[in-house]
Amino acid sequence: MTTPDPLELDVRPQLQRGEEPFAAIMSATERLQPGQALRLVAPFRPAPLFAVMANRGFAVSDRRRPDGAWEVQFAPLEGAAPDAGLAPGSAPGAALWPDPSMTLDLAGLAPPEPMVRILEALAALPAGEVLFALLDREPMFLFPELTTRGHEWAGNFAPDGASYRLLVRSGGPDRGVDHG
Amino acid sequence: MIGRQLSRWTMAWFASALAFLVASLCAAVAGAGGPGHWSGGAALAVVHLFALGWLCQMMLGSLIQFTPVLCARPVAVPGLALPALLLTGGGTAMLAAGFLSLDGWAPGQGLLALAPVVLAVAFAMTGAMLAPTLVGTRGLGGAEGRMVALALVALGGLWATGAAMGWALGGYDLLPVALFEALPLHILLGAGGFLTLAAFGVSYKLFAMFLLAPEGNGALRQAVFGTASLALGLTLGLTGLALAGRGSIPLSLLAAFADAAAVALYLAEIRRLWRSRHRPKTEVNMRWSCAALGFLGLSAALLPPAILWGGRWAEAAAFAALAGWLSTLTLAQMVKIVSFLTWIQVFAPRIGRCPVPLVSDLVDARATGRWLGLWVAGAAGGTLALAAAQASGFQLAALAMLAAALGLVREAWAIRRLRHLDPARRPGRLPPLVLPAPPQGPDHDHTRSARA
Repeated sequence: MTTPDPLELDVRPQLQRGEEPFAAIMSATERLQPGQALRLVAPFRPAPLFAVMANRGFAVSDRRRPDGAWEVQFAPLEGAAPDAGLAPGSAPGAALWPDPSMTLDLAGLAPPEPMVRILEALAALPAGEVLFALLDREPMFLFPELTTRGHEWAGNFAPDGASYRLLVRSGGPDRGVDHG
Repeated sequence: MIGRQLSRWTMAWFASALAFLVASLCAAVAGAGGPGHWSGGAALAVVHLFALGWLCQMMLGSLIQFTPVLCARPVAVPGLALPALLLTGGGTAMLAAGFLSLDGWAPGQGLLALAPVVLAVAFAMTGAMLAPTLVGTRGLGGAEGRMVALALVALGGLWATGAAMGWALGGYDLLPVALFEALPLHILLGAGGFLTLAAFGVSYKLFAMFLLAPEGNGALRQAVFGTASLALGLTLGLTGLALAGRGSIPLSLLAAFADAAAVALYLAEIRRLWRSRHRPKTEVNMRWSCAALGFLGLSAALLPPAILWGGRWAEAAAFAALAGWLSTLTLAQMVKIVSFLTWIQVFAPRIGRCPVPLVSDLVDARATGRWLGLWVAGAAGGTLALAAAQASGFQLAALAMLAAALGLVREAWAIRRLRHLDPARRPGRLPPLVLPAPPQGPDHDHTRSARA
């Protein structure tokens, strides 16, 4: 099996325009094919990103290019796929997260109310803290919003299939980026 | 992208379908088609603008949007959504023009043979998007995904019978197809097969969501699937016979009874869902879906006499299914879906950053209820007019349906433009009415493969 060429993402133009590149990086990560690495080009060494990507199952290697830019390669680790039964897109390291500091019982609420409650709660949750929510169904429209806002999540159905369990690790209180 | 579940082209599919709906109703009001007059070129064009342009496009667009929600997995090759939409719309227009050529309209000549090829590519593209998602572990394991997969099998049969008849009418006798035998099967595979089975599958999920009712794959759902599979198997067997130039009335009756039994079981399942709901007061989309379910029962009851005696029985059964059951359901749920998707698109990014309205604030429920009521009255009137062979009554019913359709198109427009929301709560920038929002800088700029 051949390994696909890395996907290259140059965030320098975005940073120059004063935009926050985190969402673009997460979006690129999710577009990767199995085994494909992400090559990030940035004007500085994006150290805060290393932990986020390690949690998603990527090994990090970086070098400074002659033109002064930093080139960081995030290569997927073998066997870092999420546990079986977790929704696609779930963070692989969720089993190692700290105990939830907040619990929301959202059973019996009509969509999109559970999404509103979860995002409002996360807007005030410090980075690294974990929220647990119990829902009636898989919140399919919430996942992209969590990713865009820099939160990590993992979810699955309870064994009886009647409720859905969602863990979200806060990426930090809301940065207030309006991308609507 | 995993987790990005909004199909970019859903509004464009809906808009294209609504354009075909309005066009077909205008032609029906003008007198193209009517009781006892469905075999002429103009009548066949109207029927296909309605069944293929309106209903099938609406269903295909909805399946591309909702199959990921049913199966909790994204569709494969989402980039095919736009070409599939363009080819379905183009193929429908070509088919309608081809039918008009039967009445002597010269520009349509040859299109009757070409349209099925275009539609085959469109359906294959949609199948390529949906099938990998449906056959995944959580797809066929669930009642919803299995039903949609069965519907896609029926779509194949619908296309095969349609293409064989189109080519025969266009002068290419590739198969010894007996039009007289194939036509009822074509209608059955379309209205009863593809459209109804797909509606069953999607409704399991959406009804449970809108009623706050528990989901699940109980014995009733398995019985619906088993009976529907039997009915579809029989219909496809009959199709094989018809394409070989033979027919079998007793087998057709058996298929009709199996269809009616599947409908009865489905209605029992929806009744169970309705009674187990946690939401005491239902919304306008669910209230008018009940009228659609009534038409479903009526069309299933009319099926055996339609197979036996044909004529006005068959016309009334097909109309009750297409205009009464499928269109009422689609129009009622369209209003809800457009408001939900618009809310997600506009307000999801604002949650936690500023107050957001409720989804129901985006809709004028009273106006929607009035237009849906007018539609149902038109569909009931049209069914009666066909059963009583009243041509002017049918035109009047079509006029009521046209007015209702235009009212609902206006409502969909108002929802997209947030017209029912206090101007102070409307964001300054709204997503485009129909086309997808242009790619956002942070999501799409500056990525390229490093292959070069």
